[in-house]
Amino acid sequence: MSILTVRPILLGAFLLSLSPAQANPLLEHDVLPILTKNCMGCHGGLKQKGKLDLRTLPAMIKGGESGAAVVSGNLDKSELWQQILHDDMPEGDEKLSPKDKETLSKWIVAGLPTFADHQDSKTKPSLPAGKRHDPSQVAIGIDQHIENRLQANKLSPSPPADDVEFLRRIFLDLAGRVPTATEARAFLEDESNNKRAALIDQLLESPDFGKQMGRTWRDWICPPELPSDMNSGKQPHQEARRMGSWIADQVNDNHSWDYIVRNLLSVRGEIKDHPQMIFYGLVGQNARATPDGSARSIGSLFMGVQIGCAQCHDDPYRDWSQKEFWSLAAFFGHTKGDFKKLDVKTGKGEITIPNSAFLNAGDKIQVRYLRNGKTQPEKDSEWRAEFISWLTKKENPYFARSFANRTWFYFFGRGIVNPVDDIRPLNPPTHPGLLTLLENELTASGFDLKHLIRCVCNSQTYQRTSRPNKEKTGESLALVTAQFGQMPLRVMTADMLYDSLKQVYGDPKLDLRAIDPKDGNQNGESAPIGDPLLQFQRDFCTNEEDPTDFRHGIPQMLTFLNHPRLLKGSKALEDFRKKNPDQTTAQTIEWLYLSTLSRLPSPDELATATQFVTELEEPEKAYTDILWMLVNRSEFLFVR
Amino acid sequence: MNKPLLNRRDYLRLSSAGVLSGVSVPWFESLAANPIIKRRRGKSCILLWMDGGPSQQHTFDPKPSGEFKPIKTSVPGIHIAEKFPKLAQRMDDMAILRSMTTEINDHYDAKYFLHTGFRRVTGFEHPALGCIASSQVGTPDDDMPAFVTIDAGNDKVNGGRFYRSVPAYLGPQHNPLAVQHPEKGLENLNPADDNLQRRLDLLAGGESRFAQQYPLPAVMNKQAAFDRAVRLMHSPRSHAFNLDNEPTKLREEYGQHRFGQSCLLARRLVESGVSFVEIFHRGWDDHEGAGRRIAERAPWMDAGMSTLIRDLKDRGMLDDTLVVWMGEFGRSPGNGSGHFCRAWSTLWAGGGINTGLVVGKTSEGGKNPGHEVVDRPITAPDYIATLCKVLGIDTHQEFMGPGQRPMPLVDKRANVIKELIS
Repeated sequence: MSILTVRPILLGAFLLSLSPAQANPLLEHDVLPILTKNCMGCHGGLKQKGKLDLRTLPAMIKGGESGAAVVSGNLDKSELWQQILHDDMPEGDEKLSPKDKETLSKWIVAGLPTFADHQDSKTKPSLPAGKRHDPSQVAIGIDQHIENRLQANKLSPSPPADDVEFLRRIFLDLAGRVPTATEARAFLEDESNNKRAALIDQLLESPDFGKQMGRTWRDWICPPELPSDMNSGKQPHQEARRMGSWIADQVNDNHSWDYIVRNLLSVRGEIKDHPQMIFYGLVGQNARATPDGSARSIGSLFMGVQIGCAQCHDDPYRDWSQKEFWSLAAFFGHTKGDFKKLDVKTGKGEITIPNSAFLNAGDKIQVRYLRNGKTQPEKDSEWRAEFISWLTKKENPYFARSFANRTWFYFFGRGIVNPVDDIRPLNPPTHPGLLTLLENELTASGFDLKHLIRCVCNSQTYQRTSRPNKEKTGESLALVTAQFGQMPLRVMTADMLYDSLKQVYGDPKLDLRAIDPKDGNQNGESAPIGDPLLQFQRDFCTNEEDPTDFRHGIPQMLTFLNHPRLLKGSKALEDFRKKNPDQTTAQTIEWLYLSTLSRLPSPDELATATQFVTELEEPEKAYTDILWMLVNRSEFLFVR
Repeated sequence: MNKPLLNRRDYLRLSSAGVLSGVSVPWFESLAANPIIKRRRGKSCILLWMDGGPSQQHTFDPKPSGEFKPIKTSVPGIHIAEKFPKLAQRMDDMAILRSMTTEINDHYDAKYFLHTGFRRVTGFEHPALGCIASSQVGTPDDDMPAFVTIDAGNDKVNGGRFYRSVPAYLGPQHNPLAVQHPEKGLENLNPADDNLQRRLDLLAGGESRFAQQYPLPAVMNKQAAFDRAVRLMHSPRSHAFNLDNEPTKLREEYGQHRFGQSCLLARRLVESGVSFVEIFHRGWDDHEGAGRRIAERAPWMDAGMSTLIRDLKDRGMLDDTLVVWMGEFGRSPGNGSGHFCRAWSTLWAGGGINTGLVVGKTSEGGKNPGHEVVDRPITAPDYIATLCKVLGIDTHQEFMGPGQRPMPLVDKRANVIKELIS
């Protein structure tokens, strides 16, 4: 797992080193990772030894007690270089590698270049702002951005996905389940030219789409497999699910994203009337809404900024101050409540840093919009409402951008900015023009989320194969995938997997629990859970930050291998056989393949399975065994 | 369910069918074959993790003025808290480390620090102790998993985010296998019917085709996990997961609490070849004061641990099995209501270390006895280095971390606690 976890950090430097257009090291991609790892522990937000802060370029140029840390083009006068050259810094045994030293010296000599210096025509959006474009036009624009970047790096994209790949992927992404045999057959046999676009339209209008969006956001807000991280064991998963359904209804009613977020965040009253109210409790602490929890989570979810580290002290590595964190939290100082009700009062825009912070406890901090905007904290107001109104405006620098980036992440397993909630100038997007294009399209369409998703799904970029090309080795494959020239192979989320199993087994109450819910410990890490879905979510949860990371282990494999339910037969299969009594063995096997892998069996597969049925005297048992085999396939478990 | 497990012949057939053999494509091989990892047989370890931070003054560093009185142990001059009379009789086999001083008072970061020996940093993971043992101790590709965690329950849920051991650059094959409840063993271990072999045969072809089409780490990890699950089912040693085979009397001596039964399961697992077992019990973040809570926990902890040490000794396993009792930090002197990393205690037994002794000392006099270490401070890296050393792990080796960066397994500044190793 962690091999993959660290990959994003490496990739930044990795990508650029192969990029001929940018031979010189750049601050954001090459230099900051070195400084973050080796220097900012003592010269960053937490400590500033020698009054030196290395988190931003202006701060480096300003320098500390010994003068400027870096001077453009002048190694001799750059104190940072002088300290590093002879290993006077960093302190301790671990010194900078020769390669890192070379990067730093090249960067200083080259005149401290930054990513922003390299903005050219390719980084501008391919379509003008201010106007909603046809999805097919936007899709072409998306592809241009992706291909330009690949070309610049002398990489070629993968070929298009075949119909099976596309069908299965679009169903899992937009409906959260595999297609039924009937749905699969209908699409595969359709010979019209625009059948992919038509299927996208059809799925966007199905209630499954809202359901899938609702539970995706529910998990982003608070993953169900966490029993106690934020809420002392009182995880209200039922309420969280109802919040997910509330989001689902909003999406299915075609409400715009700004409208949905406004209604989510401006909630007050009792939970029985407003299921979305649990949001504040879920992101709070000890079953209560907290200003810091609200600021941290709203920052991450709706603004795309990770300001949580600045809660107790200035962020050691990023340019967020503790004061900025609490100025945001101050907007929620008058929002009080628990899992049942929530009350919002008017008052002055001010909050006191609590004793739980390491530093500056007791300081009074006034409301201020992040990095811009003026407020009048002294006046009495309902500050939360003012914040929500600021946040959801078209002009807000965070709101549309953050949604566009998250939407991209949802489909590609990687944001245009990574991590998905770390948008800031010193962590630039891989495809700046593309991000602006998506952002523009979102605002011009009045935050029409279906429009944005329709644009993305119609692109060739989304419709490429995930199957690795034989000529591509591990490294170049990783490179092409990271630049969206190839679709990644993702692990089905617990909800996708559970819904797909329920469908193919024709069992809406499918229960794969092993522990009897009636015994044992009732709250804690491993309590048997009185709810088969929650147990399934805990067992089969995926890596939220990296959906390509496979983390299931022996216990999950044993469930699939040996759980008796998976050998008890399928109601869906029974219904199919009842309705079609004349089906041949081959046709039944085809039905099983279509229901699980969304494709017909190959001639070999068909022959093997047919022989299996013939050899086993009870055909029903044989079909159940084949179904077991299909759901145990790697091909079933992945979104390809 | 008492169905027969796979027999040897089935296993061989399965291997030749390709389900178990792994898939041979270049990328897989480069991932799978890490030439730096050397395997050799070392000692086993049972880590008893008291999540949330147990109070040292209510356990192994009592003070005369404290809430729990010191009692004599089987070693003259060594005293522990009065609530642990059975452990007191086992002092000959134990060593108390009273001078832990570990810098971090935050739960999660401290759990990370005391599991890895490194401070947590953004964007990088260090391997946890159990995963290190998995990679360094025991036989590679054994039937039995090398690292198992057992959930011994909780008496309240607190102590912040739970630390889950990650193998980091050592690779996902060193992830722990989790037992959710000691008395349930490993769920779904037995086949649901007699037809498993035929189904596995049916599965094999499609699996190897898919792995050839998608030679990606995720697919390799999926199929490797599946293979290990099948192998575990096959292994007769998997009976170790079943406590029913133990005599009632011994089960009662371990204590009918989930913790005691976890200790018994741990012994069975170590006996059958598991290298590292971590038992965790949650709820030790006693902000309301440790006295009442530890008084409630002491009977089962006393019974479980003392029986474990005795049982290991009776079986001649104690010298090869290190038992470690610890949390992420201790608690503030006095009533133990606060986090306290400056001067706290852990307890070790077995593993061939020197026992019947106390290492380090906390202050006695003054207004606040025990508020600082007065002799022989032990840092977290020292602690982890010593633990590795006892298990027979080469603490000086380096691994190639991400970005071709050589990573020392143990902090280079660490000093082994010599008092424990003669």
